[in-house]
Amino acid sequence: MKILIVDDSSTMRRIIINTLSRIGYSDVVEAEHGKAGLEKLNQGGVEMIITDWNMPEMDGLEFVQNVRGQNPNIPILMVTTNAAKEDIVQALQAGVNNYVVKPFTPDTLKEKIESLLG
Amino acid sequence: MDQSEIDALLKAAEAQPAGARPKKAEPAQEGQVISELDAVTNVTERETNKVMDQLDLINQLVGRQQALVTEVMKQPGAQDKAVQEAIRQIMASGKEIQDKVFEAMDLMQFQDITRQKLERIVFHLRQIHDYIVDLLGTGLKSEGERASISRSIHMTGTTPDEQKAQTDAVVEEFQKRQKKD
Repeated sequence: MKILIVDDSSTMRRIIINTLSRIGYSDVVEAEHGKAGLEKLNQGGVEMIITDWNMPEMDGLEFVQNVRGQNPNIPILMVTTNAAKEDIVQALQAGVNNYVVKPFTPDTLKEKIESLLG
Repeated sequence: MDQSEIDALLKAAEAQPAGARPKKAEPAQEGQVISELDAVTNVTERETNKVMDQLDLINQLVGRQQALVTEVMKQPGAQDKAVQEAIRQIMASGKEIQDKVFEAMDLMQFQDITRQKLERIVFHLRQIHDYIVDLLGTGLKSEGERASISRSIHMTGTTPDEQKAQTDAVVEEFQKRQKKD
C-alpha cells in the first residue's frame, strides 16, 4: 500500500511517516506542495493520499480538485490546521474523503486511515 | 477612517518638528521583518528536525538493546526465574521508552502550527505594507507568492480529542446530506 504525503512542513511529513510506520504502512512517497504531489501521483502506484491545505505553489484544495479530475476513487485524507466548519465543508465538497485537524493524535490518524481503507 | 481624516493626520504629522516625528519606515524595513520571520520559521523547522533525529536515535538504541536482551535470553543461565523476571522488566521499560519517544515526536506538531501562525502575521504585515504604499503612493508593493494561510487555526484550549469530535460531526453531517441528495 503506497501512500502519498503532501505537506510543505518536513517536520509534519516526518510525524505522519512515523505514525504510519507504527500502524504498518511503510511504503510512503513525499511531496512538499500540490504541484509536486501531482507529479508523484502521475508516477503511479499511489493508493491513498494524505494532504495538507496551506502550501505554496499549489494548495491542498486545488490539489484535491486536480486529483479528483483524474482519479475519482483514490481515498484522500486532509490533515490541516484549518478548523472552521466552512473549511471542512469546502474540503469535502472538493473531494476529500475525511478530515483531520492538527494537532492530531496517532489514534485519530490511525482511525481515519483504517476507515478510508476499510 | 475616511480620506479627509487621513489627510488631516498627514498634515498634522508634517507640522510636527522634525525631531518629534517618528522615522519614516522604509519599504525595505517591512520586507526585513517578513524575511526575519521567514528565517525564524526556517530555523525552528531545522532545529525541530534535529530533535527528531535525536529521538530517532534513541529509538534505534532501544531497539538494539532489546535485540541484545533477546540474545541473553537464549543463554542457559537465563532460564532462572529471577533472571526471566529481570529480562521481562527490561523489555517492558524499553517499550515504555519507545512509546514516550513517539509521544515526544507527535508533540513536535507544535512547530508546524506555530509556523502557520507566523505565516498569518506575515500575511497581515504584507497587507498593511501594501495599504500604506497605496495610501502614500511611494514604495514598492510586496512581491512573490506565498503559501495560502490558515484562516482558522484550532483554538488554544481545545484538546485534539475535542477538535476531532467537532470535525467528525461536520464530516458525518456532510456525508448524511450527500446520501440524501
